[in-house]
Amino acid sequence: MLDARWRKMLRDVWLHKSRSLLVVLAIAIGMVAAGALLDAWALVQRVTAETYRASHPVSATLKLDVVDAALLAQVRALPDIAAVRARRSVLAAVQSDGTRRTGVLYAYDDFERQNIGRLQSEHGTWPPRDDGIVIEQSSLEFSAANVGEPVTLQVGKSAPVAVSVTGVARDVGLAPGWMEHIVYAFATPATLARLGVPDSFNELQFVVRDTALDRDAVRRIAYEVKALIERGGQHVANVDVPVPGQHMHAAQMDSLMLTQGAFGLLTLLVCAFLVVNLITAMLAGQTREIGVMKAIGARPNQIVGMYLGMALLLGLLASMLALPAAMVIGRQYAALKAEMLNFPLAGHAIPWWAIALQLAVGVLLPVAAAAIPVLRACRLSVQAALCDPGIAAAHGGFHLRRQIAIGGLGRPLALSINNAFRRRQRMLLTLLALAAGGAVFLGAANLRNAVRGSVDLLFSSQHYDVLLRLSEPRSVDAIETTARAVDGVERAEAWAGGSASIAHAGGTLSNAFALVALPADSTMVQPALEAGRWLDRSDRSGSDRGGSDRGDLVISRSLGKDEPALAPGMQTTLVVDGRETHWNIVGIVDSGPQALAFVSRRAFAALRGDDRASTLVVATTAHTAAGQLDTILRLRGELERAGMPVASSQLLSETRRVLDDHLLMVVDFLGIMAWVMIAVGGMGLASTMSLAVLERTREIGVMRAIGARHGAIMALIQIEGLVIAVLGWLVSLPLSIPMSAALASAFGRVMFAVPTRYLPDAAGALGWLVMIVCVSLLACALPALRATRIPTAVALNYQ
Amino acid sequence: MNPVSQHHPAAEPLIALREVSRSYPSPAGEFNALSGINLTIARGEFVAVVGQSGSGKSTLLNLLAGIDRPSSGEIIVDRQALHALSERALSTWRGHAVGIVFQFFQLLPTLTAIENVMLPMDFGKRWPARERRPRALALLERLGVADQADKLPAALSGGQQQRVAVARALANSPALLLADEPTGNLDSHTAQGLLDVLAGLVGEGQTILMVTHERAAIRQTTRTLTLADGRIVDGKAFAHA
Repeated sequence: MLDARWRKMLRDVWLHKSRSLLVVLAIAIGMVAAGALLDAWALVQRVTAETYRASHPVSATLKLDVVDAALLAQVRALPDIAAVRARRSVLAAVQSDGTRRTGVLYAYDDFERQNIGRLQSEHGTWPPRDDGIVIEQSSLEFSAANVGEPVTLQVGKSAPVAVSVTGVARDVGLAPGWMEHIVYAFATPATLARLGVPDSFNELQFVVRDTALDRDAVRRIAYEVKALIERGGQHVANVDVPVPGQHMHAAQMDSLMLTQGAFGLLTLLVCAFLVVNLITAMLAGQTREIGVMKAIGARPNQIVGMYLGMALLLGLLASMLALPAAMVIGRQYAALKAEMLNFPLAGHAIPWWAIALQLAVGVLLPVAAAAIPVLRACRLSVQAALCDPGIAAAHGGFHLRRQIAIGGLGRPLALSINNAFRRRQRMLLTLLALAAGGAVFLGAANLRNAVRGSVDLLFSSQHYDVLLRLSEPRSVDAIETTARAVDGVERAEAWAGGSASIAHAGGTLSNAFALVALPADSTMVQPALEAGRWLDRSDRSGSDRGGSDRGDLVISRSLGKDEPALAPGMQTTLVVDGRETHWNIVGIVDSGPQALAFVSRRAFAALRGDDRASTLVVATTAHTAAGQLDTILRLRGELERAGMPVASSQLLSETRRVLDDHLLMVVDFLGIMAWVMIAVGGMGLASTMSLAVLERTREIGVMRAIGARHGAIMALIQIEGLVIAVLGWLVSLPLSIPMSAALASAFGRVMFAVPTRYLPDAAGALGWLVMIVCVSLLACALPALRATRIPTAVALNYQ
Repeated sequence: MNPVSQHHPAAEPLIALREVSRSYPSPAGEFNALSGINLTIARGEFVAVVGQSGSGKSTLLNLLAGIDRPSSGEIIVDRQALHALSERALSTWRGHAVGIVFQFFQLLPTLTAIENVMLPMDFGKRWPARERRPRALALLERLGVADQADKLPAALSGGQQQRVAVARALANSPALLLADEPTGNLDSHTAQGLLDVLAGLVGEGQTILMVTHERAAIRQTTRTLTLADGRIVDGKAFAHA
C-alpha cells in the first residue's frame, strides 16, 4: 500500500489534470521530435556499421587494360592487401516498358566473394546466369523491369540484345539507382560478350588489410599497386580511392541528421522551458502545503523526494507516450535515409542505448526542470511557507500607477500590459519559447528563398530543354546537323567531355569529376561567374593567343570546394581518359551541387585529336513537357537513322523537379521543426495564461463586481497574451539572424552553399506576426473563457 | 482526571525558555517580537497564551514549534535545546516531539481524513507501515470523527476538520501539542466540544500550549500567559474546579 504522501502526490497530479496533461504533452512533444531523430540516426549508424562496413567496401579501384588471374594473385600477395577482385563496368542503354534509360552493367571474376564489396541476393537467381542479368534493387523500380521478364540492352552501336532479368541483388556500395537515374545491373562476362563487350576485366579492386587507414594512406597503397601494374607493362588510366569506411552519401547524411538533431534538441529545450513554467506554477500553489508538511515533521529531503517523484512520474507518463511514437517516426525516417544510402533496414532494431537515452531524458527532464523550484520552495521556512498567499501571489511587474500614467493608453489596456509583466520569469520563458520557434520559422523561410533563388539562378543559366546522351561519341557536325533538321528543334549543340581527375603533385589523382567541352560561345549554358572569367568566346586555343598550348579551364564552385587549392590564374593538369592534359584555370562559376569543369570544345578536340561528342543539348520550340517529349522521340528516331543511337534522354524541367524535391525536402523538414516549436510555444502561452487566470481569480472577481462584462474580461486576457506574443515576435526578429546563418551553413555542408539573406524579409516577418497573433488568440481562448465562467462570489473568496 | 492535578511545578519542566528574544528587521528598524522571555512549563500543563495582536503570541508558538529561531536566548523543549539544532535536525525533532494545530486546520485537501493523520507517521517512521492505519483510526475514534475517516476535508464541517487536525497533531505521540487559535474558526458550540477534547487530552497527561482569544478557552486551561509588546506581563496558574 502506498504511503499517504505518495497518495497525495498522485491525487495532486489528478486534481490538476489539465496542467499535468500539459506537462506530459510538452515533454512528450519534445521527446518525439528529438527522439525520432535520435532513433533514426542511431538506426542508420547501426545499419551502416552492420551492413556497409560488414560488406567489406572496396578501398580502391584502378582502371587498366586487362586484369587477369596472374595480376590478381600478384596484388593479393602484397602485405597491405586483404582481398582483390576483377571487374568490368559497361555503360549501356537499358530499354524496358518502351523507355530507354542509362544503365551500368558490372561483371566480376567472382560474384560470390564475401571479403570484398559483398553483394547480397534479394530475390531470384544469384549469381547472374549467362542468359540474363540481375538488377541492383535500388534501380528496379526506376528500370521499370520485372524479374522473369526481358529487357533490351545495347552497348554503343552494337545490336540491341534481349536478356532476361533473373533476379535482384543489393550492392550497398552503390548510390541508389533511383536517385542517380541509372539502372545498375550485374552480368556475367559471357552476357557482356553478347553485347559486343570484351569478356575480359579492365578494373582491379582491392580492400586494404588495415581498415583503420585514412584516405591518404589507402591512396599510397593504391599507388604502390599502380606502380606494380605499370612495372608489368600496363598503363593505369585512373585510380579512385573513396573515403575509407564511409558510404558516398554518409557525410551528407550525417551532417543532415546532426543539423536536424540540433533542432530536435532545441525543441526539447523549448519544451523544457514550458515544463519549468508549469512546475514552478504547480509548486507556487503547493507552498503552503509544503509548510504544513514541514510543520508536521516532514524533512526537506522527504519533501524534495515527493515533488521530484511527482516530476519523475510525469516524465514516465510522457516517456510512455513519446517512446513508441518516436520509434515509429524514427524508423520511418531511418527507412527514408536508408533508402537514400541503399541500405536494407529490415531486421535491424533501434539500438537499446538510443531508447535508454530517451527514457533517461524523458524522466530526468522534468526532474531537472523541477529541481530548482522544488529546492527553492523547500528552503522556505515553515513560517514563510505557511504565510505564503499561494498561487494568488503576484510579485514584480510594472507599477500600475506608472502604466496608467502613459498617455493614450486606456485603463484596461494598461492593466493588460501591466499584467503581462507581473511574472517576469514566466513571461520571459514563454516569449523565448515563441521566439525560438519564430526564429527557426524565419530562418527556414530565408533558406527556402535562398534555395529557390539558387535553383532559379542555376537553371536560368541553362537555355536548353532537352539533353540526350549518345551510346557512342560521334562527329560534332554530324550530331548537330542531324539534330537541327528535326522538327521542333530551335537550337542544338553537341558537347564533348568525359571523366577527369586532377593530377596532384606527388603523383596522386583527385576523385573523378565531369569535364564538359562545349562551344566557347555556347548559347545553351551561361553559368553565373563567381571569380575570373568565362571561356574565351573567340574560342582560340592557347597557342593561337601566342601563349602556351594550355587551354582555358573554368571550374565549378563545388569542384573548388573539393579542391581548395584551385583558383583563377593557376595552372593545373587533368588526367582525361588516362592522358595528362594541361590547363589554365580562368574562372569559377556557380553551376549547382555537382563538381565539374568546363573547357572549350575546340581546345578539348585539339588536345584529344578528334572532334567527337556524345552529348546533345537542344532548345525546342515546344513550351510544354509533352511537346518537348515529342521532340525527343523525333530526335531519337532521326539520330538512330543516322547511325547515332541514343543511350538516354532527359527533360531539363524534370531534372529541375528532382533537384527541387531533394533540396526542398531538407528545408521543409526545418519548416516542420519550426511548426513543432511554435506549437510548443503556443502551449507555453496557453499554460502561462491559464496560470494567470488562476492567480488572478480574486482580481477577476473584483473587476466583475465593479461592472466588468464578459467581453472586457476576455479582452483583458487576450490582450495580455498578445503582449507576450508580440514581444516574442520582436525577439524572434534579431534571433532569426544567427539562426539563418546557422541554417545556411548547415545546408551548405549538406548540399551546396546558397547565398542566404540573414535579415528576415518584410513579407516573412509580417507573415510570422500574423501567425503568432493567431497562435496567441487560440492559446488564450480557453483561459479567457474560463475567466468569465468563474462565479463572482467564488472568485472573491478565492485564496 | 483533573488537569490541574497533573501540574507539578517542582518536577523537571517540559519547556524552558531563558532570556529568549526574537527581533525582525522592518523598514522602521528592528522590530522586537519577543524580548527577554523566561518561562518554564511543566509536563501536563494546559497553557493559554493571550495578548493583543502583535504582542508576540505567534512568535512564541513558532519558537516552541521549532519553525522559527530566537535571535538570542535558549529554548529547551523535552530536554532538547532547539536553538542549537540545524534545520534538518529541527524537522526530525518536530516530527516526533511536537504536534501543531492551526486556526485554519490546514488539512491537505487531496488526502482523506485518515490519510492526513497517517501523513506525519509516514514522515516520522516511528510506527511500522502496517500499524499506521489502525493507529490513525484509533486517534480519529478518540476525537469522535472515526466515521469521517475516508472523507476528504472539503466534505467535513469545520469542527470535524479541526478534530482531524488534532488527531494529526497527535499522530506521532508528541510531548507537546501547540494550538494556534484552534477555536478561532469555529462556532461556539463546536469550539466548546474541541476544548473539551483538549482538556481530556491534558487529563491524560498531554502538555498543551494554546494561543487564544476566547474567554471560554482560557477557562479550561491550567495557566494563562499574557503577552504584551513581546514580554510576559502575567503568568498566573489556575486551579479550576
